[in-house]
Amino acid sequence: MSAGEAQPFTFEDLPVRDDRDAAWRLIRERGGIVQLEPDIALTDHALVEAAFRNPAVFSSRQAFDSLGSPLPLVPIAFDPPEHARYRHILQPFFSPRSIRPLEPELRRQLAELIAPLPARRECDFVADVASVFPVQAFLTFFGLPLDMRDQFVAWKDAILALSDPSGAISTDEADLRHAGELFTYLSELVAARRGVPGPDVLSELLCLDGDDALTDAEVIGLCFLFVLAGLDTVTDALGFGMERLARNPDRRQEIVDDPALVPAAVEELLRLDPPAPFVPRITTAATELGGRTLPAGTRVTAYIAACNRDEARYPDPYGIDFHRGDNPHASFGVGVHRCLGSHLARLEMRLVYEEWHRLIPHYDIAPGFAPTVKFPRGTVGLEALPLVLTPGAAR
Amino acid sequence: MRVTIDRDLCVGHGLCYMLAPDVFHDDDEGYGQVTDDGPVAADRVEGARRAAGSCPERAITLITATATATATAD
Repeated sequence: MSAGEAQPFTFEDLPVRDDRDAAWRLIRERGGIVQLEPDIALTDHALVEAAFRNPAVFSSRQAFDSLGSPLPLVPIAFDPPEHARYRHILQPFFSPRSIRPLEPELRRQLAELIAPLPARRECDFVADVASVFPVQAFLTFFGLPLDMRDQFVAWKDAILALSDPSGAISTDEADLRHAGELFTYLSELVAARRGVPGPDVLSELLCLDGDDALTDAEVIGLCFLFVLAGLDTVTDALGFGMERLARNPDRRQEIVDDPALVPAAVEELLRLDPPAPFVPRITTAATELGGRTLPAGTRVTAYIAACNRDEARYPDPYGIDFHRGDNPHASFGVGVHRCLGSHLARLEMRLVYEEWHRLIPHYDIAPGFAPTVKFPRGTVGLEALPLVLTPGAAR
Repeated sequence: MRVTIDRDLCVGHGLCYMLAPDVFHDDDEGYGQVTDDGPVAADRVEGARRAAGSCPERAITLITATATATATAD
């Protein structure tokens, strides 16, 4: 379908599965505010800022109803001022200073995951590293035993299948049963830790008192959100990032030679491949945006990956450049709902790229394999990333 | 130019001290703090402006000699 045709252009028409750069180019070429069934799509950073910094009109309250959580998704489905209360309570747990002490333990766990791989000469980066490490980080952060890892992976996959924002919601009995098991597990955990001091985030959340005290339902809702928002997003960002590094050996060599570039690489790879590239809001009243009149109840979706390719903000926006300096990408969102876990996510990604390239500087995508993206769905990631690992000096 | 953070509005996104670490720092709970109450050095003004424009809560105010304005995006 050419850009000039008048027939409706839909979300499913985007070629995200095989060529996501082409998909974002296609949608950007249609303009800054585009009818993209079933939503209005924003592809321009200034329009996203204008909308997302006006939460009274561009509301989150019903925007996540399709996630099918049994409890209100604290705090993403809340607008100010309620939202600010949760943010105030939660932010200190996710601050850089709170996160930093996790680094040595997480680095140790990563080295343990990655070190055995070179002997195999091949691996699936998604299955072997990207999908397990964020779960371990979550368990470590919450003070849960690491042997719960595979159980959590199964639960997480089930609730994500039940909550796909694109609407393709599973009605599979096993998924429903798994989601129920997670709910039961979290309920029992919350009951057991309530009022019992401990160094982990969950215990600290449950020990809050006075105005900050959270009910059991609020804490379980939060745990669901952490599982929904904090696991696959990191997995997907890592899979995309490693695919770009595998395809661009010159850029990869830069971080092998100079690990101090890894933080800039994390930002640049996130700019190119946000794992949550479609962020929805629903208008509470008729409003104007980008020359369009939007009736109340319009679903407006920020196309983050398209916004991140704005030529005015990024010279050579489709290129990978670890020396951009400022990289004000929108991959963690824009406005008051900006990702609560951004500092933790950044730490996880930095550690993976650092440890991987320290231990395995030479790798390539398995011959004949074409990575494909899980699509259509609300969050995107690679199904698999088979790599061949070439022997070479580890640092 | 001077710069202030409204503690009632700040919820600790942490963009200011990431974007302009020579103007802002984080406190124990991750909230942004202005490191020096005095005038912002000329070579730090751009960073302060960028941080103010990026603050998701619009909690940062730039105070110039002639006018006071809560920064708007970009």
